Amino acid sequence: MVQNIEFKNISKTFVTVRALRDVSFVANAGEVCAVVGENGAGKSTLLKILSGDLQPDKGSLFIDGEEKQFRSPQEAIASGISVIYQERQVMPYLTVAENIFMEDLPVKKNRLIDFKKLYTNTQKILDEFNLPIKPTDRVRDLSVAYQQMVEIMKAYRRNSEIIAFDEPTSSLSEAEIDMLFKVIERLKEERKVILYVSHRLKEIFHISETVVVLKDGRFVTKLRTAETDEQQLVKHMIGRDLGDVFNTLNREKSIGKVILDVKGLTTDRISDVSFKLHRGEILGFAGLVGAGRTETMKAIFGADAVHSGEIWVEGKRVNIKSPADAIAEGIGFCSEDRIAEGIFRVRPVKENMSVVILEQLVRNGFIDFKREARIAKDQVTALQIKTPSVMTKIIELSGGNQQKVLLARWLTSNPKILILDEPTRGIDVGAKAEIYRLIVDLANSGLGIIFISSELPEIIGLSDNIVVMREGRISGFLTREEATEEDILTLAMKSKE
Amino acid sequence: MRHIIDVFKRSENVGLVVVLIVVIVVFSVLQSSFFTVPNFINILFAASVVGMVMLGEAMLIIGGQIDLSPGSVAAFSGVLAAILFERYDLSVLPVVAIVIAAAVLIGLINSQLVNFLKIQPFIATLATMSIFRGLAHIICGGSSVHIRDRLFIYFGAGRIFGIPISIIFLIVVSVIFFIILNRTRFGRHVYMIGGNETAARLAGLNPERIKVALYIITSVLASIGGMLLAGRMNSGQPVAHNGLEFDAITVVILGGVSFSGGSGTLTGCFIALLILESFKNGLLVLNVPVFWQQVARGLLLVIALSIDYFRSIRRKKASKDQ
Repeated sequence: MVQNIEFKNISKTFVTVRALRDVSFVANAGEVCAVVGENGAGKSTLLKILSGDLQPDKGSLFIDGEEKQFRSPQEAIASGISVIYQERQVMPYLTVAENIFMEDLPVKKNRLIDFKKLYTNTQKILDEFNLPIKPTDRVRDLSVAYQQMVEIMKAYRRNSEIIAFDEPTSSLSEAEIDMLFKVIERLKEERKVILYVSHRLKEIFHISETVVVLKDGRFVTKLRTAETDEQQLVKHMIGRDLGDVFNTLNREKSIGKVILDVKGLTTDRISDVSFKLHRGEILGFAGLVGAGRTETMKAIFGADAVHSGEIWVEGKRVNIKSPADAIAEGIGFCSEDRIAEGIFRVRPVKENMSVVILEQLVRNGFIDFKREARIAKDQVTALQIKTPSVMTKIIELSGGNQQKVLLARWLTSNPKILILDEPTRGIDVGAKAEIYRLIVDLANSGLGIIFISSELPEIIGLSDNIVVMREGRISGFLTREEATEEDILTLAMKSKE
Repeated sequence: MRHIIDVFKRSENVGLVVVLIVVIVVFSVLQSSFFTVPNFINILFAASVVGMVMLGEAMLIIGGQIDLSPGSVAAFSGVLAAILFERYDLSVLPVVAIVIAAAVLIGLINSQLVNFLKIQPFIATLATMSIFRGLAHIICGGSSVHIRDRLFIYFGAGRIFGIPISIIFLIVVSVIFFIILNRTRFGRHVYMIGGNETAARLAGLNPERIKVALYIITSVLASIGGMLLAGRMNSGQPVAHNGLEFDAITVVILGGVSFSGGSGTLTGCFIALLILESFKNGLLVLNVPVFWQQVARGLLLVIALSIDYFRSIRRKKASKDQ
């Protein structure tokens, strides 16, 4: 029986980002230890180190005082660790039983799978937790909640003493969350060590005994849940030293006429979204992950199909059916997923920049390479992009510099409206400050900017006005003056009354 | 001079050039008749059909696609041309026009299977490979059709100043596509959709349209190759060009085009084509049994890709150490 797990001086640095710095704390058996922190606080990295997916640069894990260094997920599993990830790791085409007994299917003497035993053993586990699914159900036919249950049952079947959850409720309904919590309570009674990573504070007070707060990759504090409250936790999570950055920004208040007017936009993922963007305005979009902010922008940009609603650009109704149409209307869109939707990994910096304006670079049917390189070099200088040359493959640059290249891509196209979806995700603090400055400069020059961010200090520090979204709808508008982090979080999290 | 060395060092094709030189030197030493002008012309002559398809296949793979049907399309085109000559008594111009129109249609079908039915390119063209191989047999009743048209035969087998017309064709087409791929917007778009289709769409590109063009180009090149070979053999043969696409894909991969799309050069492919054909020719000159030739070609590919793998690991290490 494992008594506790200790994280000791864990540090991890990615190319330029220090994801974890010297994090130490202990989680005990028989209680739920919640891990909270804003986006980018280092929660996911911590879990990946626990699961053996990543190796720390410094520091170790200790299970009951015994030092452990996992070089692979297999080693972590062998030491009794299971991590239930946000993205479910189930095999959709296999049955519940096959998933739960994945690497340990019972076999008969003749080495064939003993299905009878497999199903009775599985049924036993399902009964223990009162789960109304059958061992023979195909996992892909189950709801997301039950797929997650299958994952948890697998961990239980492995006799994992340490079970970690990564945002387990992010796609569950209220009733499903109750079911999950009952299962977690049950695991608690079995005296497992439970780590529970979430940014939903309400749940944490419901389920956990202790809370560990991380901020910018550092350990802030560990509290007994019963002795704290939401407000105090939020205070520990926020209050990062970005205040100076925003105060030094040279923001001219020069908001002009309406440049983008969205009326009643509805798609598969959002309903009845309406807002106005003005020239020279930075309009912040806040909300939890999955609130529909990205989906709204993709609909405006012509990347997602629109069911109903109108989009007006500079007083004219426009019909945008593809990103190319949106670009023609002077809209630029920097995706939140830099790697999957932004960069062309193996192509040089200059090609990554010129892709939108290639048409203008063509002379007599051929691309004017000299002009292309000159424009790229100008942008490298203007945005202070650190790259050996404009011919360097973009993937060899740091995240912040890749992001600047993507910004440059849109800036060269001279947009009227620029949509920036989480432009500072996964980049270090220094590069963030530079991107803030750039955004402000652009707004000062008259661009209308939509700025999506899950980091509240950014939203408040940078936006003139703030739109908060929740569950595919707009849940509130705030001006910068009246907005506090608490207000925004309330609008973003408040559950349906 | 330093400039030349610099270009040479930076070029990703250095390894290929070295391999080509090694292949030529080794075979020349083993068999003196290898290193002669007529033999080099032979090598290029043999390379001309694969070379055509290679150009299309290279652009497809750079664009994140693949086409398994060119061998069937080439055979179908040869047979169709022969039938149009022999049964309908048409002259060269209408025959070529009809065959190329058919190839355009095939390319269109391939691209629509990929674009509209969202079938993986590998599977979509696996289907059309089978369909057009079958049709090639069906339209001629299973036996080859003799061609008598002198002009058509001249294109396939004839020479100008001692150089086979097929080779001239290949060189002209190669130069055209080299320019298209490197200098035009379309060419750049091919690299972009292969590098990241989602990002390309979000940057305002129309990946579907680019794919239509790529599949049509490949089918048309395959059909030209098929007609040239039909002319050379005086007949349209339904069994011809078996595995042509795999030869072309082998060359493309050997030439350094990433199978996951987005990078590679036609220059590399061209050098790889010369390597493979010199290698084949050398084995032939040395009287190596044909089945061993197949084994040797497979090994060549494995070796080339291993070299590539170890080089990429070294590059990764080097960039980490920085």
